[in-house]
Amino acid sequence: MADFFENEIVRAEGLKKTFSLSRKQQKLEKTTVSRKVAVDGLSFSAYRGEIYGLLGPNGAGKTTTLRILSTLIKADEGDAFIAGRSVKKEPGKVRDAIGFMTSELKLEKFFTPDYLFDFFGAMHGVPKQTLEKRKKELFGRFGIDRFQGVRVGDLSTGMLQKVSLVVAIVHDPEVVIFDEPTNGLDVLTAKVVTDFLLELKSMGKSILLSTHIFSLVEKLCDRVGVIIDGKMVAEGDLNALCGGGSLEDKFFEIYHGIKGEVV
Amino acid sequence: MKLASLIKKEFHRFFHDPRLIVTVVLPGILLYLIYSIMGSTINAESEPQTYKVYVSETTPAVAFIEACLGETGDGMTVLPLENEEAAKAEVESGEAAAILYFSENFGERGSSVRILYNAAEEASSSFYSLADAALQAYGMPFAVLPESVTSAEQIGIGIFAGLLPFLVVTFIFSSCMGVTIESVAGEKERGTLSTILATSAPRYQIALGKVVPLSCIAAIGAASSFLGVVLSLPKLMGMSVGDFAGAMSFGGYVLLFVLILSIVPLIISTITSVSAYAKTVKEATSYTSVIMILVMVISILGAFVGRMGDWVVCIPIINAVNTMGLLFEGQIVVWQSLVSAALNIAYTALLVLLMTKMLSSERIMFGK
Repeated sequence: MADFFENEIVRAEGLKKTFSLSRKQQKLEKTTVSRKVAVDGLSFSAYRGEIYGLLGPNGAGKTTTLRILSTLIKADEGDAFIAGRSVKKEPGKVRDAIGFMTSELKLEKFFTPDYLFDFFGAMHGVPKQTLEKRKKELFGRFGIDRFQGVRVGDLSTGMLQKVSLVVAIVHDPEVVIFDEPTNGLDVLTAKVVTDFLLELKSMGKSILLSTHIFSLVEKLCDRVGVIIDGKMVAEGDLNALCGGGSLEDKFFEIYHGIKGEVV
Repeated sequence: MKLASLIKKEFHRFFHDPRLIVTVVLPGILLYLIYSIMGSTINAESEPQTYKVYVSETTPAVAFIEACLGETGDGMTVLPLENEEAAKAEVESGEAAAILYFSENFGERGSSVRILYNAAEEASSSFYSLADAALQAYGMPFAVLPESVTSAEQIGIGIFAGLLPFLVVTFIFSSCMGVTIESVAGEKERGTLSTILATSAPRYQIALGKVVPLSCIAAIGAASSFLGVVLSLPKLMGMSVGDFAGAMSFGGYVLLFVLILSIVPLIISTITSVSAYAKTVKEATSYTSVIMILVMVISILGAFVGRMGDWVVCIPIINAVNTMGLLFEGQIVVWQSLVSAALNIAYTALLVLLMTKMLSSERIMFGK
């Protein structure tokens, strides 16, 4: 266990990640450099019970950071700790401590919510009795109980999203990590997701999300970290960071200061 | 518990989807029907024929045979046996249907007629059957002594022994291909494999959770195809299933079963690894098609490499094809079978290890 500050639930320490670029990618990015630094010495902390937002433009390194935290990829340098467990040394324990959600992780449409909840519960080693109790509670709370025997492929987009979210927290994780929660969703489904996150917060969960949507951060987040070119350029309490102004104005002020241009 | 759930999930996925069951079982049924119908049609078509027959002497029995043949619409050209070696050569080449050797005292008790024919030739075999039936009906106390320049069973079994290993491996491969690409590359493409990778299930269990159930499912498909071929090929070739099945002992069947059991997981783990590496189902299908062609070529080669030495048992697929060929010929090749099976299982273990590594590779699993 890492030596954590009081209430600290996520801590990233000098995370660095580089990717090699194929010739095709070099052409697309109009560069001759064969390696790209996606995350460059990123450090931050998130605290128990809060919603922490990583804000940045596309390609800033948000998704890479969350993938490192969820142990799907490895950092070249640095380490991160979730509930005191190192993502480098204890990836299995970290996976049991987090619920990772992203639009890239999908559920097989052939199965029913009931089956998938049991299956992913088994994947996380949740005892059967606990699983049944939790299923009843979560399915009832999010209105899935009426559709638990319907194949996922036959569910509405909103209900499918709810099922994905509930399945991701089947093992009652301490931390929920959500990459671009409302990306590509219609307004109704997006509301399902934001309501779900607020509900999770009320349940005492700690949430770490990434987004490039200012309004989402303003609506959900307690604290925010601004990432540009893989570096953490500003971090803090949302109100303190914005200083009474809008988040959008503050972001572009920071962006202009670093990049010397707005767009 | 996690492995059991992974295995149960694959079975659940398969046995609750009628389309997948049909995909696996249908090829065997179709093969049985097609080969059986082809066999019946081929064997039913018999045009009137004129058989060229040499006789050691002209007896009334020859005319009787000719008359009997005439009743079925066939004819017979009777030639005196002047040059026995040349006549035999004609029988072997199929030019002549048979040579009839009548004993000196033909017609008396204890006399005989020897029919030398070629069991490998359809016309010669037909003549023998008809002549035998005619002579039995002739009503004189003599013996009919058939003698073939080649044994029909030997020929049939020889063809089976060369052909079946290739067919077995090809059907196993097709069966494995059908279920594996969809289950591995399909899941990867749809993003459902990533969802499992985000859980704490160990990577080796996820790999085994694919290879074990898919091997069982593919084995059912392979068994269906295999039975379809074994039951229909003898019909296609005008043999009885018993003639062929009788060529192998119980021990031979056990060794054959062991070999098949070792090939299925080997092929499954190969396709699983390729599918895990591929980004899409299309890509996986392309890679697997190449491997299938390779396996088919190897399977054909396998029938001829026996004389190259015992070291061929070390080469996957070839070892099984070669050993199966010997088993189908009726030989009990215990050590070759067991060593081949053990090595195939060892190669499977290595491929599972490779797949575990691939499941842990962020470039392969999450690379763009």
